[in-house]
Amino acid sequence: MLKSKTFVKKTRSGGVMKIVREHYLRDDIWCGTEGCVECKQEETVLQKDVHIESNLCSFPHYLLPDTNVVLSQIDILEDPLIKNVIILQTVLQEVRHRSAPIYKRLKDILHDKEKHFYTFTNEHHRDTFIEREPGESANDRNDRAIRVSAKWYSDHLKKALSEEEIQIVLLTNDRGNKEKAVESGLLTYKCEEYVKSLIANPELVDRLALTDDDKNEITSSKVLFPEHLPLSRIQAGIKSGAFQQGTFRASRDNYLEATVFVHGEGDQSTEVLIQGLQNLNRSVHQDLVAVEILPQNQWVAPSSVVLQDEGPKEDDATEEVEAEKTLKSAAGGAESRKPTGRVVGIIKRNWRPFCGMLFLSQIKEATRHLFTPADRRIPRIRVETRQAATLAGQRIMVAIDGWPKHSRYPNGHFVRSLGCAGDKDTETEVLLLEHDVPHQDFSQTVLSFLPKMPWSITEEDMAVREDLRHLTVCSVDPPGCTDIDDALHCRDLPNGNQEVGVHIADVSHFIRPGNALDQEAANRGTTVYLTGKRIDMVPELLSSNLCSLRCNVERLAFSCIWEINDKAEIVKTRFTKSVINSKASLTYAEAQMRIDDTNMNDEITKSLRGLNSLAKILKRQRIEKGALTLSSPEVRFHIDSETHDPIDLQTKELKETNSMVEEFMLLANISVAQKIYDEFSECALLRKHPAPPPSNYDILNTAAKSKDLVIHTDTAKALADSLDAAQVDGFPYFNTLLRILATRCMMQAVYFCSGMDSDFHHYGLASPIYTHFTSPIRRYSDIIVHRLLAVAIGADSTYPDLMDKHKQSALCNNLNYRHKMAQYAQRASVAFHTQLFFKNRGIMNEEGFILFVRKNAIIILIPKFGMEGTVFFENKNKPSPKLTFNQEATTLTVEGHTFNMFDKVKVTISLDASNIQHQKIRMSLVEPVILGVSVAPSEDNQPKAKKAKLDG
Amino acid sequence: MATVQISEAEKVYILHGVRDDLRVDGRGCEDYRHMEVETDMVSNTDGSAKVSLGHTDVLVGVKAEIGKPRPVARDEGYLEFFVDCSANATPEFEGRGGDELGVELSNTLYKVFGNRSSLDLKSLCISPGEHCWVLYVDVLLLQCDGNLFDAISVAIKAALFNTKIPKVHLSEDEQGGKEIELSDDPYDCMRLNVENVPCVVTLCKVGHRHVVDATMQEKACSVASLIISVTHKGTITCVRKVGGGSLDPESIFEMTETGKRVGKALHAPLMELLHKEESLGKKRDKVGFLG
Amino acid sequence: MAGLELLSDQGYRLDGRKATELRKVQARMGVFAQADGSAYIEQGNTKALAVVYGPHEVRGSRSRTLNDRAVINCQYSMATFSTSERKRRPHGDRKSTEMSLHLKQTFEAAVLTNLYPRSQIDIYVKILQSDGGNYSAGVNAATLAVIDAGIPLRDYVCACTAGFVDETPLTDLCHAEESGGGTSLAMALLPRGGHIALLQMDARLHQDHLETLMEAAMTACKSISKVLDQVVRQHLQEVSALTGE
Repeated sequence: MLKSKTFVKKTRSGGVMKIVREHYLRDDIWCGTEGCVECKQEETVLQKDVHIESNLCSFPHYLLPDTNVVLSQIDILEDPLIKNVIILQTVLQEVRHRSAPIYKRLKDILHDKEKHFYTFTNEHHRDTFIEREPGESANDRNDRAIRVSAKWYSDHLKKALSEEEIQIVLLTNDRGNKEKAVESGLLTYKCEEYVKSLIANPELVDRLALTDDDKNEITSSKVLFPEHLPLSRIQAGIKSGAFQQGTFRASRDNYLEATVFVHGEGDQSTEVLIQGLQNLNRSVHQDLVAVEILPQNQWVAPSSVVLQDEGPKEDDATEEVEAEKTLKSAAGGAESRKPTGRVVGIIKRNWRPFCGMLFLSQIKEATRHLFTPADRRIPRIRVETRQAATLAGQRIMVAIDGWPKHSRYPNGHFVRSLGCAGDKDTETEVLLLEHDVPHQDFSQTVLSFLPKMPWSITEEDMAVREDLRHLTVCSVDPPGCTDIDDALHCRDLPNGNQEVGVHIADVSHFIRPGNALDQEAANRGTTVYLTGKRIDMVPELLSSNLCSLRCNVERLAFSCIWEINDKAEIVKTRFTKSVINSKASLTYAEAQMRIDDTNMNDEITKSLRGLNSLAKILKRQRIEKGALTLSSPEVRFHIDSETHDPIDLQTKELKETNSMVEEFMLLANISVAQKIYDEFSECALLRKHPAPPPSNYDILNTAAKSKDLVIHTDTAKALADSLDAAQVDGFPYFNTLLRILATRCMMQAVYFCSGMDSDFHHYGLASPIYTHFTSPIRRYSDIIVHRLLAVAIGADSTYPDLMDKHKQSALCNNLNYRHKMAQYAQRASVAFHTQLFFKNRGIMNEEGFILFVRKNAIIILIPKFGMEGTVFFENKNKPSPKLTFNQEATTLTVEGHTFNMFDKVKVTISLDASNIQHQKIRMSLVEPVILGVSVAPSEDNQPKAKKAKLDG
Repeated sequence: MATVQISEAEKVYILHGVRDDLRVDGRGCEDYRHMEVETDMVSNTDGSAKVSLGHTDVLVGVKAEIGKPRPVARDEGYLEFFVDCSANATPEFEGRGGDELGVELSNTLYKVFGNRSSLDLKSLCISPGEHCWVLYVDVLLLQCDGNLFDAISVAIKAALFNTKIPKVHLSEDEQGGKEIELSDDPYDCMRLNVENVPCVVTLCKVGHRHVVDATMQEKACSVASLIISVTHKGTITCVRKVGGGSLDPESIFEMTETGKRVGKALHAPLMELLHKEESLGKKRDKVGFLG
Repeated sequence: MAGLELLSDQGYRLDGRKATELRKVQARMGVFAQADGSAYIEQGNTKALAVVYGPHEVRGSRSRTLNDRAVINCQYSMATFSTSERKRRPHGDRKSTEMSLHLKQTFEAAVLTNLYPRSQIDIYVKILQSDGGNYSAGVNAATLAVIDAGIPLRDYVCACTAGFVDETPLTDLCHAEESGGGTSLAMALLPRGGHIALLQMDARLHQDHLETLMEAAMTACKSISKVLDQVVRQHLQEVSALTGE
């Protein structure tokens, strides 16, 4: 029972509700110190032998940081050097309240056994709880609570430790708090002082975040930006409609331009254009900001100019004025003006550590340098470091600390180095970090939930599963695939119908809801395939072994079995957990060969042929219903087996068997979607693909018009039909180009929870309902769908989160985010490898087609490599040629030559490594020849290519 | 109010006692029974008080909510009264049984307390015509042993004294939009001036005399009673005759005088007690129903 | 803003209790003189009063009379100021009516009604302040009041709530915990025989967890019964001291 005394804490929230909560004080909260004789604790966290050497405190000590130190210097706390720290409950709660990401990081440190961080529940300890006094602000009260606890700890340790004397060092950056703490006899330092005094690791100083005191000295006194409004004013303004709240999205191409995405009521959302440094007012990409819409006569049109913040000049305002002038002159006509506004305040910063490179100051001894993030949407950051010479040429991570109003750039501090720029490993690390792809090795806790090896199917497993080992099941996948999710079989039934089975790896058998393995997979959301690297969603033991449906081993599967008649109509569907034994793991090419080879008549081949003929009918039916077949060139690299450098580049080729497998996967997904929706109308995880709004098709329509064709976009069926009909004689690639454009018009398909949405339609597949069931090894959504289906057929039990539509919906948001990021990371990886490829190749001549026409450039698709590039007609160092852009017809006339969409051009391709951080593929025009614009084709590149091949 | 049935002999005994200024329980005609007052009983109200008078037990809770001022008085807040005749007091109040009495009691409370002279209603106004404090005064009858009005009035006065209304201030932005902001400091609150809040004295005509604080038995012998609300200065703010019988003007005059005297004397010790209790602050051990 | 953290990593709840700890329970019997039995209980900030009238003749329509046992009549009501947001009416709303019915069922199971044929026992429960577990506090108060009234019971009826947060059962939930989502189970137990007089759970819970949750609730009910027993014994001591026996 409780020995404690009751206290009542009153808080007021919202309207005028008086909320009364009890607050129990305890006498059984221990100090967590090893060797303490007073506390009756079973486990200790803080070590008896403390090894941290500091000039300031030469004696063993524990650190006790206050809230602001934790919030601003989390990077320091994360350093392995910092151990034996006491985190007070007061601090933990304040951090939780003020910053979710830092709270998470703090929690991670607290869970790390190596760090010896101890949470002391001071608010419930009899001796350390304090009540707020009249006239005392909440902050002052918390500061006092921290001091009281620190005092308690030092007194306690004096009494309780027999031999050694361990002292408490309070870290606070607040001057007032420090004074009071010193008064009460506490050992108190500012975080900077303390960190600088550490002997073991002087580099740690670089990771210090700048605090207000330091900021003043390094920036000029000139105020460059308007003051941000306080949060209360912002909130009042938003309520009254004077301000809008939205997410700030910086432009990738123009550092002086951004849009704020304002979420309106319901689905309505608008974009507000922000132009100019003053109006951007220190917002950083992804911040939640408040904007004020300017009067309509000050509205401007988004400029299509590309502007990079190049100069390292410090706080030079004149440069900006120039740039802004260019912006204004570049602005389009009145009709294209958009609602324009200015940022009046920041509601929530969304800063994360950014990857990038250091731009060394010209002054040799300087310790302040500018850091250029890899993401162009992030401004440069000023950092202070003494290791500049070492860090130059490396990819590093930097965190922003703040952006004072008299500083041109935000201030930040160095977090860690990732390695040399241009290194394949470093660059991969960068692109994973930049796309927020969780890619650390799986932790021991996660691995502990893996099945113990050697693993085999047990009697109990067999008892609840259907034995399908006798079926001729085989899998068809791309070459080199080790995570085989799916396998198929097809056999004739006595009644003339065919039985088709899709067998999916039973991942949900191994990953049980709620454990660390499950949480990790849910967070990762998807396996990310980069060129030459795979970042698994689940540990390799599962993905490449136990779950992978390899041939000639017994594997657990979740099977979807149909009876299908010769018109490919489904007569009967059933789902079952099963045990299968795949007879063959084929590649698409092998499967195709078997089907085509009339000499082969074994079981596997017969099964494949059956599947193939059914798939053809299914595909036809699906296309008749209006499913779209859109093409988007996929690039594949031939990787050198030793250096892992790409040696050849080719677009992926699609075989009949690709579409055969796809057809049955679609069928299985649709069948499962229907089943789980029937069973769980409120919490089925489904996938939808909304129809694009008509305006999305504008680009497609103009493109078609340029070839005197009409594309009907009213329905998916009309679109599919008119795309099929759009052919130009003598230009076979035209149709593909048009389809590539059509792909760009589409909306993103997303996961959602059926209880939270009413529109289920999948536009691209022309299916009223759809989900993902067939790739549980690499997609978490499929694991959830497996669990739902298992419950629906009574093979497994539910758990609360599975039935909670809000949690389900939150999960969907994460999955959608991870999928999007995975896609971006994949593209970035392809781009990087393309660069590597061209780096090895020198300059090449290729044929291409104009995909888009811009104001000062044309974008060209090279069908051979399936890659896109931009030919700029404006060059910094040369006078620009005469350019006339016709928006109506989307044509660009350069010195008399008019470029139309889909024109065939010849270009040279080379790697532009002038900017080491942003290496890019440069394309220059060869044909048509325009004087002063086009370049000569590079000298015969064939031998070089051959040489490269020989090298490999 | 459980009905008490008394015999003729008992009645005579009571009447004679009253005539000789010696009541059944030993009190004189103008004496109250033992009264206990305790405030701050229910922590999630803004003010509360419990009063027990003999076996009559009353609990009053005051809750402040933000509302819109009434159109007739745009710069004033107002009070709402509700009396819950709970079944705890007597099984007769079960279901809707107590509603009639509850309405009767609360109607009287509106008249006695809900006016400008008893409380400074202007101090309850936040912004004229838009926002004001509404004080919900909820009376809970837990046990009835006569003289409900007096007990309730004392409890209400004590509860209002105890009431702490959070301080609010209006913030105005350029557009003229007003926003109510609550003070973040829990100690920052507004107190009511209860100096002029009256107390009710009920006088029961028993025989030829009248008594204050009548028990159930005495009530049963009485034909009619007079409710008088008196402020600390002795000002009478309300007089009502209740009960089935009739009263002659002469005795009404006499009763009013008595009421004035008794009522005036009631305030000083009550206020003294309340201040004393307040000064104990958090150190006070709350007794409540556990005592 | 993130919601409340119902259970910290250190294993403390919002108010500083550990998962299976009860709130401070204080109770007194014989609060009122006029009623046949009365009791007051505080479970943390939840405060309840219970009064018992009877056994007496059946009031109102004779048709309700039972020839073999007593009629248990219950009314559950809440003071209008008991909740954070003021209630419009003390009883008669759907929730109170349901609670009244639950009380009735609970005490029909516990009171030896066959000893009082053709009579009625009234149990009135009033919640003065509500901070979670209103029903349990009401039942516990009513048990004491029934004992105060001298009506024989099979056993103490002890009630407690239990909830489930992150796979950990919490007992005796406060209001913030009850409204913080998740499951809440109310149980009334006759501890000696381990009979459950009432079990109610409104939220979804997986069957596998039900047993642990019930186990936790039962343990809590048993702890409550110890407290109630102590209150009764102390009350009897005081009373007998007063009467000089």
